[in-house]
Amino acid sequence: MWDLETGKMLAELEYGSAIRTCGFSFSGNNIMTSTDRTMGKSCEIQFYDIRDGSQLQNNEPYQRLSSPDSKVTSAVWSNLDKELISGHDNGAVCLWDLKTGDILQEVEEHRKGVNDIQLNRTGQLFVTASKDTTAKLFNATTLQYLKTYKTDRPVNSASISPLKEHICLGGGQEAMDVTTTSARVGKFETKFFHMIFEEEFARFKGHFGPINSVAFHPDGKSCSTGGEDGFVKINYFDSQYFEFEFEV
Amino acid sequence: MLSQDKTDYTYSRSPSYSLDVNSDNNMDNYDVPFMSRRSYKASYVPSVTPHSRMPPKDTASSRRRSARLAAQNGEDFPDQSVSTQFSSHATIKPSQVRPRSVDPAMGRAKVAPRSLRGRRSTNQSGLFSENDYGREEQSLTHLYDLQKIVTNDQEVWDMIKLNVSPRDDYKPFLIVTGLDEFDDTELSELLGDLLKQKPAEAVGIDSVIVVDNIPQVGQDRISKLRNVIRKIFSKYGEITTEHYPEENGKTKGFIFLEYDSHDHAVQAAKNMTGYKLDKSHTFSVNLFLDFDSYGNIPNDWVPPEKQNFVDHGNLKSWLLDPDCHDQYSVIYDGGETTAIFKNTPTEGVLVEARKRWTETFVRWSPLGTYLATMHQKGIALWGGEKFVQIKRFAHQGVQLIDFSPCERYMVSFSPILSTSDEPMAIIVWDTRTGYKKRAFHCETASQWPIFKWSPDGKFFARLSTDVLSVYETPSCGLLDKKSIKIPGIKDFSWSPSENILAYWTPEAKDNPARVTLIEIPSRKELRVKNLFNVGDCKMHWQLQGDYLCVKVDRVTKSKKVQSCNFEIFRIREKLFPVDSVEIKDGILAFAWEPVGSKFCVLHGEPPRVSASFYNIKKNANIELLKTMEKKQANSVFWSPSGQFVVLAGLRNMNGYFEFIDSNDMTVMNSREHFMATDVEWDPTGRYVVTGVSWWSHKVDNAFWVWNFQGKLLQKCARERFCQLLWRPRPPTLLTKEQIKEIKKNMKTYTKQFELKDRMSLTKASKEQIEKRQKLLADFQTLQEWLEQTYESQKEERMSLRGGLDTDNFDSNFEELEDEEEVEFFLGEEITEIDEFEYE
Repeated sequence: MWDLETGKMLAELEYGSAIRTCGFSFSGNNIMTSTDRTMGKSCEIQFYDIRDGSQLQNNEPYQRLSSPDSKVTSAVWSNLDKELISGHDNGAVCLWDLKTGDILQEVEEHRKGVNDIQLNRTGQLFVTASKDTTAKLFNATTLQYLKTYKTDRPVNSASISPLKEHICLGGGQEAMDVTTTSARVGKFETKFFHMIFEEEFARFKGHFGPINSVAFHPDGKSCSTGGEDGFVKINYFDSQYFEFEFEV
Repeated sequence: MLSQDKTDYTYSRSPSYSLDVNSDNNMDNYDVPFMSRRSYKASYVPSVTPHSRMPPKDTASSRRRSARLAAQNGEDFPDQSVSTQFSSHATIKPSQVRPRSVDPAMGRAKVAPRSLRGRRSTNQSGLFSENDYGREEQSLTHLYDLQKIVTNDQEVWDMIKLNVSPRDDYKPFLIVTGLDEFDDTELSELLGDLLKQKPAEAVGIDSVIVVDNIPQVGQDRISKLRNVIRKIFSKYGEITTEHYPEENGKTKGFIFLEYDSHDHAVQAAKNMTGYKLDKSHTFSVNLFLDFDSYGNIPNDWVPPEKQNFVDHGNLKSWLLDPDCHDQYSVIYDGGETTAIFKNTPTEGVLVEARKRWTETFVRWSPLGTYLATMHQKGIALWGGEKFVQIKRFAHQGVQLIDFSPCERYMVSFSPILSTSDEPMAIIVWDTRTGYKKRAFHCETASQWPIFKWSPDGKFFARLSTDVLSVYETPSCGLLDKKSIKIPGIKDFSWSPSENILAYWTPEAKDNPARVTLIEIPSRKELRVKNLFNVGDCKMHWQLQGDYLCVKVDRVTKSKKVQSCNFEIFRIREKLFPVDSVEIKDGILAFAWEPVGSKFCVLHGEPPRVSASFYNIKKNANIELLKTMEKKQANSVFWSPSGQFVVLAGLRNMNGYFEFIDSNDMTVMNSREHFMATDVEWDPTGRYVVTGVSWWSHKVDNAFWVWNFQGKLLQKCARERFCQLLWRPRPPTLLTKEQIKEIKKNMKTYTKQFELKDRMSLTKASKEQIEKRQKLLADFQTLQEWLEQTYESQKEERMSLRGGLDTDNFDSNFEELEDEEEVEFFLGEEITEIDEFEYE
């Protein structure tokens, strides 16, 4: 954990295995991390209250949730610190009640692992990005499935625009297959879909490896992409983007 | 060893069958290890060849003990004292000791090893009169399946395996001696299951053949005849018995021969029929079994039942589509699903989709009436409006299929070897009745189709060494009952419009290579063209049969390919004049304009490929229209209606396409479908489909629909898309005059169709907009609910963030809002100036 203003490292947490996800809660008082299944330990999600310095110092989370059946590959806080949404390597998406530690809801809309989960501006909808070449929109409160955005390559990351009803997603051929094929086959493109119509209306190239992460700027006027090729690109939208409207 | 003193006496009581193991009555020649176990007296003697693989432990003592036990048998019988003897020779095959014949009178069967049969005659159900087997029945032995008896005792079984079974494929047998003391009921109680395996009377009869038209000779010459016959017939296998029926001291003119196996008899019967011994004696050979079956044909002929006519509906219903939309079949899901679509300008409309419709691929019949699906057990034809099954054709392991151009006949190929003498590899079917017309033998189908059909479906021909066999329909017999002898014939090809056949023969001795056109059925040679220094020839007919192009690879003496010639035969002109076009480069592809007089050649070495277009003028030379250089292409696809052509760089050329109008030689469009493997023109020449098939490329499987100008209309990504085939259309029924009339009034038609197209387009976009509106409305309710809950949680949010309202991103950036205000203000000013000027 770092202090953004000074660049000072505030705390360091050691785990026996790789950390898959981490995130601040809405209040910024709690953080969440999840570990891999490796080293004989089952996959686990840890929760810390950063106001209590001893929790971070001694690596003693106030709560642990374990997911023995499948690995947590992505997770976000939801419903104002009260719930957690996790995506799993088997394609399942779970909603946890953090008070009781129970799974409130579980849906299996994806056929392959969920690579990324991002909430919309209000935190009421979220979009999943999956290896099964689709991204899907869900209601964060009920976990109700809403929309699907189809591509022809694994999707590594998807984001909801805070400004318009747009979804931006990135991905491409898996990194392990890339060396065997040409960059054209990889299709390392960022694509834009209309959130409600599920129609693709724009795409741009720029990376020569799979795109691992996409995010809209909070003002919705630009988006950034990070790729396996080592580049982070910030893309400002031109005026056509803002003028474009679907014929309704 | 096998208690010889006890043999020869209780045959009549023995219901079982015996094994003649030893012709010399000298079992002591065998070294048999001895073992005594339990209450059966059993000898295992699986071998007749005295090769001892395992030396006996103590031969002398085993003999003694064996003898002693044998002697005890009588007294010990109630206690069932046993001597079980095992031989170490396990080189006998069950087939060798197979019970061969049965003497019903004696109620037992004898088994003779093969080596004995030369001297022995089997009594084949009283067929043969000779009988000299008396000597052989020396040992009373009963044959049993060893395993059944001894498997209960592990120790014994281990011993047996150790001793007798060096090779697993030999099924061990057990011979039990002394069972004659049992009476029948006891025996069936004890060994009921084994007695069931007693061979039936007919065993062995299937290896007998009857040879007719043998010279009738007297006693003086019979041995000479026998020698001759034996010499001729032993080619197909060992003859175990022969029988020459006699009458009045002369042979009757037919003989019986028994082979050592059924297969050999079948071979002999197949190959020796028609064998000419001398001028007046031509053999007629049949299996003895066939006599039986022909004899059993009932005398009353029962007329076959009349079958009801099944109405499959209008098989040409797809042609009645009001907008003349064509259909195509698509296989996707890696072969799991097959679907038929109707191609409209905007999208493919699903007509029918079925899971596992075919096991490998599908084929349309040449006129589009049937869809053929391939299965392990055969072929099924589907058709009609709903694609009902019309006929099934049983052909095990079928792999390839071909139709006659008239659709009346179908040819299928299966690589599965036939077990009987009946040919199974290639079958010619009648598609309408579903009956097999004729079957042919065939080793490989490397060059499919093996049978090539004449355009009207009246003849089909096949090439073999130095012979061209032309068959005629509907009889499926050879035309004029004989093949055409053409020494050295390499390849042939039918004209697509007339019954003219072109073939070529390579250079031989003093004769040059030749391309010959002959007329069928008259076999008249129409034209012979001599060629020199020929390496290889390929024949390409123009679809209307107007021209034949023979691509000739010229070679030097050292067989190096030097250059290439195209010999163009003008079929419609007098005496079939031949023109020659020479191209020095290597040839990648050649294609005729299907309707018209142009052809396109791709030549050069990749990546420097040129496309040359030629036109054949009537009564004039062939003119080179244009050579386009630096093309990324390896295939040429002409539109079925001519004029337009697609140059395609498939597979390793990345799927690059150029759409060319050959009338003015312009490139209308250059596009790419990355890694495309296939190109298919629709039968009308309006659309082109390019596809990436899962069969050859594993990613991005999809097919794209273009119009003939190269405008991309649709991209259809189907998971593991394999094959797309347009449904062919039968030739138009319009006369030439009618077509001319239509072309003349093209403008009025164009207006109608343009209107129609525009309407369908607006309809499509209208549908799209309606769909969007619906989606939007559906989402609206959710959005309202989301907003409400969001508002209700405002307090909670503020409390979590220390009382700050962070809902709006801009809330803390007052400067930004100021800027926007300035813009608004400027806008107002402009309007004021406008008004001012107006005044």
